[in-house]
Amino acid sequence: MSRLALLLLALAVPLVQGRIDRVLGEFRAQHEALYLWSGEQVRRVAPGLEGLAADVYWLRTVQYFGGQRAFAGGKRFDLLQPLIEITVTLDPRMEIAYRYGAIFTAEPSPIGAGRPRDAVALLERGVRALPDNWALRQDLGFYHFLFLKQPQEASRILFDASEMPGAPYWLKSLAASVLAKGGDRATARRMWSVIAEQSAGQIKSNALLHVQVLDALDEADRLTKLVAEYARRGGRNPTSLEDLRRAGWLGRMPLDQSGTPFEYDQRTGRVSVSRRSPLWRPGF
Amino acid sequence: MGTGGLSRVAAVAANTFRETVRERVFYNLLIFAVLMTLSGLLMARLSIRQQDKIIKDLGLACIDVFGIVIAIFIGVGLVAKELERRSLHPLLAKPLTRDEFFLGKFAGLGMTLLVNVAVMTAGLYLTLWTVESRPDPRMLKGIYALYLGLLLIVSLALLLSTLTSTTMAALVTLCLVVAGRFSDVIRNMRVVAPAVPDWLVQALYYAIPNFRNFDFKDRIAYGDPVPLAALGWVTLYAAVYIGIVLGVGARVFRSKDLV
Repeated sequence: MSRLALLLLALAVPLVQGRIDRVLGEFRAQHEALYLWSGEQVRRVAPGLEGLAADVYWLRTVQYFGGQRAFAGGKRFDLLQPLIEITVTLDPRMEIAYRYGAIFTAEPSPIGAGRPRDAVALLERGVRALPDNWALRQDLGFYHFLFLKQPQEASRILFDASEMPGAPYWLKSLAASVLAKGGDRATARRMWSVIAEQSAGQIKSNALLHVQVLDALDEADRLTKLVAEYARRGGRNPTSLEDLRRAGWLGRMPLDQSGTPFEYDQRTGRVSVSRRSPLWRPGF
Repeated sequence: MGTGGLSRVAAVAANTFRETVRERVFYNLLIFAVLMTLSGLLMARLSIRQQDKIIKDLGLACIDVFGIVIAIFIGVGLVAKELERRSLHPLLAKPLTRDEFFLGKFAGLGMTLLVNVAVMTAGLYLTLWTVESRPDPRMLKGIYALYLGLLLIVSLALLLSTLTSTTMAALVTLCLVVAGRFSDVIRNMRVVAPAVPDWLVQALYYAIPNFRNFDFKDRIAYGDPVPLAALGWVTLYAAVYIGIVLGVGARVFRSKDLV
């Protein structure tokens, strides 16, 4: 009898859990809390196990970032910085925490925390902790260029990185290109392609998305030029991009790589990436 | 101690090894196997390019922590249990000295820990192999240092169990292990407490066993070399410290009133 009761109770657990999940939602965001805010505190709690504690905090960082990005309603990244700080204090040699932590921190909201200066500070800390690591210097240069729009500083750092043992041969030419061309799109595309090549998973997808954004901006510029040419020949702007297609200037209606049509402003003749597109970014 | 003495120590050690390995170590290894398998499967998805390091960190931490638990909780019971069960008296009636019995108990648990560490190490290498990581023989040097630390803990647990109750002995041993891992804090104590006399800081620093000496885990995780000279000095440190602790322990045990 008691065995039967135990069996029934055991069977009831998944049923009740299923009901709770249906009521509260399967992927309900957990309330995130951080009880220890400094790496030094955590170090004192886990003497001799700092490496494992760093791994645990790094996994928590990745889960927290992924959870906020994917599931949280009002995306906040309040715990991101303390989590990364604890990770790199416990294990100052964890290169991945600097590199991926920087991208989590730098990307504009809602994709990331939108704090590029903090990301640069994190990479600077990484460069101090791992002075022989060219990849961290390379990223520091990239971030100065991509997020802080400081081509001169970026170029100087990239030159430094290119002089280090093991650095790829093209880093020097990239540094020169940054200095010569300032904030051009081709350089940015090259940097994001490098980040994509050197990373995996979400970070790779994110870098490839940036490349697609740049491609979309290039395509929008090309279409704007076509509109200008159409206006020069016809004396007025086309009413829509469909006019260009009818005139045989376009094979089909242009879409960006996400499959979203471009936006066209007849008054200014400007073609831009649609706000509905995942490739739209503010300020472009 | 002559050849006869050594063979009697070996007999007690073999008996202790059989007892301890049969009772508890199996569960420890089972938990370790499950942990390592799960970590191997999950880390690739969760960690972003850190699976090697995390598996090494986790495996080494398990060897360390599980070893400490076995060393303390079995160590404090080795002699005390024999006293409680009164099984010591018939043993000592045989041609077996208390020193030989004491050393035999230490050696027996040392063997159990050796098997435990060896099996866990094999599990760690196997997990790394399943995630296509290149096996690094240098890991063995760090694991050897961990094992020396465990032997030191066994000797402390044995000594303390002859002085006080098993619960208190376990607690004090654990405190010593934790304190020994904070040796850097002890050494720099005067920075936060300048009033503490220097001789006291020095005395504490040298008296408390420095368990940091046995910790090469971060070097192993990053594939850094562990210099043989460092290993040699650590081995000597362990030998000296274990020698002192076992010497005091045997002396206390010898003078203990067993009636």
